[in-house]
Amino acid sequence: MSLNSERAVVALALFLLSVGLFFSTYSFPASDMGAAFDPGFFPRIVLGCLIALAVPNMVIDLRARSGWDASGLRDVLFLMVLMLVYVVVMPKLGFFATSVVLSVAFFLILGVRSPLGIAAVAISVPGALVALFNHILSMPLPTSPLFWWI
Amino acid sequence: MLSVLPQAFDLIFTVEGLMVLTLGTMLGIVLGALPGIGSTVAVAMILPFTLTMSQAPAILLLLAIYAGSVYGGSISAILINTPGTPQSAATCFDGYPMAQRGEAGKALGWATIASVIGGLASSIVLIFAAPQLAAFALNFGPIETFALILLGLTCIVSVSEGSPIKGLMAGGLGLFLSVVGGDPLTGGPRFTFGSFQLIAGFDLLAVVIGVFALSEVLIRASQRGEGAPPLIDFRGIVLPRLAEWRGRGRGLLKSVVIGNVIGIMPGTGAATAAFISYAEARRSAPTRANFGKGEPDGLIASESANNAVTGGALVPTMALGIPGDAITAVMLATLTLHGVTPGIRLMQDNPVLIAAIFAGFFLINLMLLPLGMIVSRVAAPLLRLREAYMLVVITLLCTLGVFFVRGNPFDLLIMAAAGGIGFVLRRQGYPMAPLVIGMVLGPTLEISLRQGLIITNGSFGAFFTGHPIAFGLILAAIFMLLLPLFRALRARQG
Repeated sequence: MSLNSERAVVALALFLLSVGLFFSTYSFPASDMGAAFDPGFFPRIVLGCLIALAVPNMVIDLRARSGWDASGLRDVLFLMVLMLVYVVVMPKLGFFATSVVLSVAFFLILGVRSPLGIAAVAISVPGALVALFNHILSMPLPTSPLFWWI
Repeated sequence: MLSVLPQAFDLIFTVEGLMVLTLGTMLGIVLGALPGIGSTVAVAMILPFTLTMSQAPAILLLLAIYAGSVYGGSISAILINTPGTPQSAATCFDGYPMAQRGEAGKALGWATIASVIGGLASSIVLIFAAPQLAAFALNFGPIETFALILLGLTCIVSVSEGSPIKGLMAGGLGLFLSVVGGDPLTGGPRFTFGSFQLIAGFDLLAVVIGVFALSEVLIRASQRGEGAPPLIDFRGIVLPRLAEWRGRGRGLLKSVVIGNVIGIMPGTGAATAAFISYAEARRSAPTRANFGKGEPDGLIASESANNAVTGGALVPTMALGIPGDAITAVMLATLTLHGVTPGIRLMQDNPVLIAAIFAGFFLINLMLLPLGMIVSRVAAPLLRLREAYMLVVITLLCTLGVFFVRGNPFDLLIMAAAGGIGFVLRRQGYPMAPLVIGMVLGPTLEISLRQGLIITNGSFGAFFTGHPIAFGLILAAIFMLLLPLFRALRARQG
């Protein structure tokens, strides 16, 4: 048994997370109310079951020889960072402008090299969504301080 | 009821009435297919526009949006593995694998017919059994509801074939996610770690879209050029032939009954019905070995049940004035805003209007078939885009869908995080369906268990003694949990 695979690391992380969360239920406000009134009553049942399952799961995954598979992870990491930046700035800088930038960056990471294709989809899809939501459904999307009209 | 039908038809079969039914159903299908909009948002969004309309067309329009959106959710669930509405999440299990092997049209054909049959059956139930069934639903207290949800949770075992421990762990994670936020009884924060935003808990749709759709985008990106699953080829709905229905009628009937019964019970909803029906079909269908790999019986079970809920959910809303879920609460507000007071006297006071609503609801469900074929046909060219373009479109639709539910930027962060975690867990063989099942059923399970224990002064044994319905349901849950074990033992002996 060793921590030599992605699978084993995930299994161990889930076990430790379940144990940590289980003990944190005792610090809930009003946790001394007892039985069904205790806010930690149901979470403790759930987390107790999770710990009970996490032990055999961890043993199985620590024994497995699945190793590490890093193929394609670089692209996924870039996409995740991009996505996180996008969801943070989109409500502030507006849907259209940020979605155009996100689309272009996605295409470049995913290997699309056709400028016409990139421009067509990156502008038309966010544009169509703005038209649908802002003008047909009357559900305004976040607008940009720079491009307030879209 | 039957005596006032001619007058009710006079209200429906006008130019305005028919337009309202047709356009409302089409709009409902489109809104339901957009991930994140969902039935409740769709109805709430259109409600203000109906205030200037007369009573019957306004209510019929919103009913059309409601029924259309429940069906519409299956389109994106099947074609892009993104449930348009939470009640379509179970449709992904078999709909998307069918689409992946080039049978998207057929999958939508099964889903459409199942939805129409489920919806029509529920409207018949609504017409003939509303008062009687509403009275029966009152027998369901917290203990019976707990037992029913427990039975629903057993479907985690059946959707985790191949990796039962990982499936159960994913289900447990889903249950855990459902308890984050304010405690339903005391209001105290749980697992919020000082975050004000987490007091309201995780938005279900943000998590569902994250773990299903966004993680799919990341998986496709990571497998680019290395055996990534093929893009969906969809050229319109292909209706199943009559011969293909042989042997599926019993399962369909069972799902319709499950949908109607669950719809009538307050606080359960279409997502619960779809999962319970799916679990039951997976337990009892002769084709159960193919479930999760693109089995039409799985699609029929989830789609007929979630559409059968629509009429059932209107039973307590109209007959008792008790809304069963968020969508029927909005419908209740609609009726009130249009001068109709739901309750026991509703049918005596407004017989013509009620007959028009019931008959209109039947027509709406009938129209789902042709309108579903037209609307999904429009979606076909979009799905033939190059994969990278499709991934961007899915990401933008996911973002919009999540943002519109509550207008809360925090939900976008949750979606992104759920996408990343879903990607990691899926790579290690943890199925995501149990996580969603746990998250959907968790809140009702907790509140009914705690209320039940309060009623019985903390005695869990009393769940079995004074509550025969609950006792039967708990026995059924234990049986369904042990069934795979018996099957494995029998297979070993055989």
